[in-house]
Amino acid sequence: MNILTAPLTRRQAFKAMLGLSGTVASAVLPMPALASTEEHPAHPVAPPDAVAMLYDSTICTGCKACMPACNEANGLPADTLLSGGIWDMPTGLNAKTKNIIELYQDPKSDEFAFVKKQCMHCLDPACVTGCPFGSLKKVDLGAVTWNSSLCIGCRYCEVACPFEVPQFQWEAWNPKIVKCEFCYDQRLKENLEPACTAACPTGAVIFGKRDALLDQAKGRIAAAPDKYYENRVYGEHEAGGTQVLYLSSVSFQKIGLPKLGSTSLGHYATKVTSIIYKWLGGPILMAGVLGFAIRRNWNRHELERLQHEKETGFPDQL
Amino acid sequence: MTSPPLTINSVTSDNRGTTLINHWQAGVPVTTGPVLTPLLAFLIGLAAFGFVLAGIRLVSPLGPFSAMNSVYAWGIWKTFNVMTLTALGSGPLALGMAAWVFNRQNLHVVMRTALVSGFLFYATGLVALGFDVGRPWNFYSAAMPWRWNSESAMLEISICMPLYCAVFLSFEILPLFLERLYYTGNDKARAFLRHVSPSIRKAYPYVIVGAYVIPLMHQSSLGGLLLLAGDKIDPLWQSPAMPWLYLVAAALCGFSFTIFLLLIACLRYARKLDGGVLSELANLLSGVCFLFLAIRATDLIWRGQLHSAFAFNKMSLLFLLETSLILTPAITLRFRRVRETPRALLNMSALACLGGMLYRFIPTSIAYAPMRSTSYFPSVPELVMAVGYISLGIVAFVLAINYFAVLPGEASTWDHAFRPFGWKRRATSPAAMLRTVTTALEKGV
Repeated sequence: MNILTAPLTRRQAFKAMLGLSGTVASAVLPMPALASTEEHPAHPVAPPDAVAMLYDSTICTGCKACMPACNEANGLPADTLLSGGIWDMPTGLNAKTKNIIELYQDPKSDEFAFVKKQCMHCLDPACVTGCPFGSLKKVDLGAVTWNSSLCIGCRYCEVACPFEVPQFQWEAWNPKIVKCEFCYDQRLKENLEPACTAACPTGAVIFGKRDALLDQAKGRIAAAPDKYYENRVYGEHEAGGTQVLYLSSVSFQKIGLPKLGSTSLGHYATKVTSIIYKWLGGPILMAGVLGFAIRRNWNRHELERLQHEKETGFPDQL
Repeated sequence: MTSPPLTINSVTSDNRGTTLINHWQAGVPVTTGPVLTPLLAFLIGLAAFGFVLAGIRLVSPLGPFSAMNSVYAWGIWKTFNVMTLTALGSGPLALGMAAWVFNRQNLHVVMRTALVSGFLFYATGLVALGFDVGRPWNFYSAAMPWRWNSESAMLEISICMPLYCAVFLSFEILPLFLERLYYTGNDKARAFLRHVSPSIRKAYPYVIVGAYVIPLMHQSSLGGLLLLAGDKIDPLWQSPAMPWLYLVAAALCGFSFTIFLLLIACLRYARKLDGGVLSELANLLSGVCFLFLAIRATDLIWRGQLHSAFAFNKMSLLFLLETSLILTPAITLRFRRVRETPRALLNMSALACLGGMLYRFIPTSIAYAPMRSTSYFPSVPELVMAVGYISLGIVAFVLAINYFAVLPGEASTWDHAFRPFGWKRRATSPAAMLRTVTTALEKGV
C-alpha cells in the first residue's frame, strides 16, 4: 500500500499536520537569521585590522635572507638533504621549511623571476573550513595558526589548500602540521613584523595593513604601466582574497601561483550544507519523515509477522 | 565442482522467469562442510600479515611506511578502503530504506546479508582510518561538542561513521546474535532474552531511524569533502552535485553489491535462489543507476562540461568507462528476462559495482591533480595493509554466515540447532550420517 493513499486516523492526521507546520516553520523562521550572518560569503571583505605581506617579484634579488630568518624565528632545522649536510637547501615548502624563495627560469628565453612561497593567509581559508576540530584557526590580524592539541592528523588541510601550503611531518612520531603562521606567536603578538619581512634587505617583501599595501601595490602598477603581469595584484581576489599579495612581471602561473576563481572555497563547499545543517534542521527533519514512514511500516510488518508465525510456526527474524 | 547448478526453482527443468514464489523466508546458517577451507586459511594469513604491518605502523611514523606525501596527502587507506568500500557497505542503507521506508516487505529477508557485509566494510574502513591518521590520540575531542568545527565535512564523517557503525548498525544486527544465544544458550540466557526482547522490539523502529539518517549524512559528506579540493579535481568530477552523487552512488553500490554477494554466496553454498527478491533488487538497482546517470548528465550540462566528457583524452575515457559501466546494467536490468537470469544478474551487478566504485574512487585519486609535480602510487606496506583489511572482512563474513543465521533460505531448512563454536568436521550428507548410525548400531552401542 502506498504511503500517500493509505487511510489516516484522526490522530495520525493531527500528527501529520503538526509535522508539516513544523517543516514550514523551520523553513521560514530562520530565514532572517541566515541572511544576516553568512559565515562564508562568496567574496569576503578583509577586516580593517587585517595585516598583509606584499611581495614584489621584480624587486627580489633572490638573496634568500628571509629563509634563515624564518627558520630562526620558528625554531626550524635547516633542510640539508640536497647539500650533503652543509647548508639549508629545500626544494619547496616541506616539513622543515615554512618559507622559501624559488627561481623560475624559462628554458628558451632569458626570462626569469624569483617567487616567495609561504602561507597565503586567505581571508576565508579552506583549511580552516575543513579542519574538523578547529586546530587550524584564523586568529586576530588574520593570521592562520595551527594548534597541536586539537589536530588529529587527518591531513584534510593539505587536500583543501589550493596553494598546497600545509606540510605534514611524515617522518615524525608526533607529526605536526608545518605552515607559516605569520610569526603570530613569535613576533606579531609583540607588535613586531614577521621575521621574513624584517630580514628582507631590498624591500621586496614588506609588511603592513592589507588595505594600505593593496593601495601601495596599485600605486606601483599605475606608476609603471605594463611592467606588471596583467596589471593586477595577485591575492586581491584569488580564492576570495588573501593576505599575501604578489606583484610579478611574468605570468603568475609560471612562477607557481595557481589560477583561481574569485569565490572563496569555503563558500563553494558550504553554501548548501550550511543551510541543511543549520541547527541540525535537515537531519532532524529527515529523522521525522523517515521515523513516520518506518513506524507505519513497522506496524504493518508486525501484523504480517504474527500472521506468518501463526501460519507456519516458524519464529520471525528481525 | 559438484554443487548443483544455479536454479531459481527447485524443479529440475529450466523454468526461469516463471516463478513468483518467495523461497527465501528466513536467515539460515551454513551448516554443511568445514568452516576452515584452504582459501579461508589463506585469507586469514593475509589478514594476519596486514595486522603485523599495522602493529609496526603503531610504532612507526607514516613516512617510511607509505608513499603518501604532502601533495597527495590521502593514500589508498582513505581513498579506497574508506571512500570507495563504504559505498559497497551501504547495503544496509539502500535495502533498509527500500524495506522499512518504502515498505518493500520482500527485502527484509536479505537485510541480514546486507547488514553483516555493510558492518564489516565500515568496521574495516574505520580500522584503516585509525592507522591512517597522524595524531589519533587527539580524537577525544569528538566527545567535546564545543570543539567541533560544525562546518567541516570531515567532522561530520569522523563522528558519524564510528557512531553509525558502533551504535546504530550494531543495534540493527543485534537480533542476529541474540537469536543465536537464544537457541544455543542455557535456560537462564533464554529467560533473560525473553525478558529483554519486547523492549528491543519496542525500541527497534525508533533506533533504526538513526541507522538511516546518519549514513545519509555521512555518505553525502564524503562527496562534500572533495568540494574543498576545488580545482585540484578534474572538472568532470568536481561539481556542487558531488555530495548527492556520492550518496546515490552509495545506494547503487549497496544494491549491486548485495545482489552480487547473495549470488556468490548461494553459488558457493549451493543455496536455492529466490527469483522474486533478486529481481526486485535488480529492478531497484536499475532505477538507482538511471537516477545516478540523470543527475550526472544534468550536472554536466548545467556546468557546461559536456564537451570535456567527449574530448577522448584520459579523463574523458575514464568518464566514459565509468558511465558505460553504470549504463549497461541500468538498461539491461529493465528487461525481466535479464533480471530473472542468475548469470546475467551476477554480471550486471558486478558491472554496476565497478561503475559505482570507479565514481567514488576517481575524484579522490586519478582525477586529483595538484599543480606540484609529484606522483603517488601506494607503497607495498600500504597495499598489504589495504588487502589485509579486506581479507579480514571476508574472513569475518564467512565466519558470520557459518555461525549465525545470515544468508537467506527457506524457513523449512532453518537449523535451530546451529553449528556450535567448537564444531568438529563430521559426515554431513544424509547417506553418510546413516552410515555412521548403522556402524554404531553394528558395534552394539
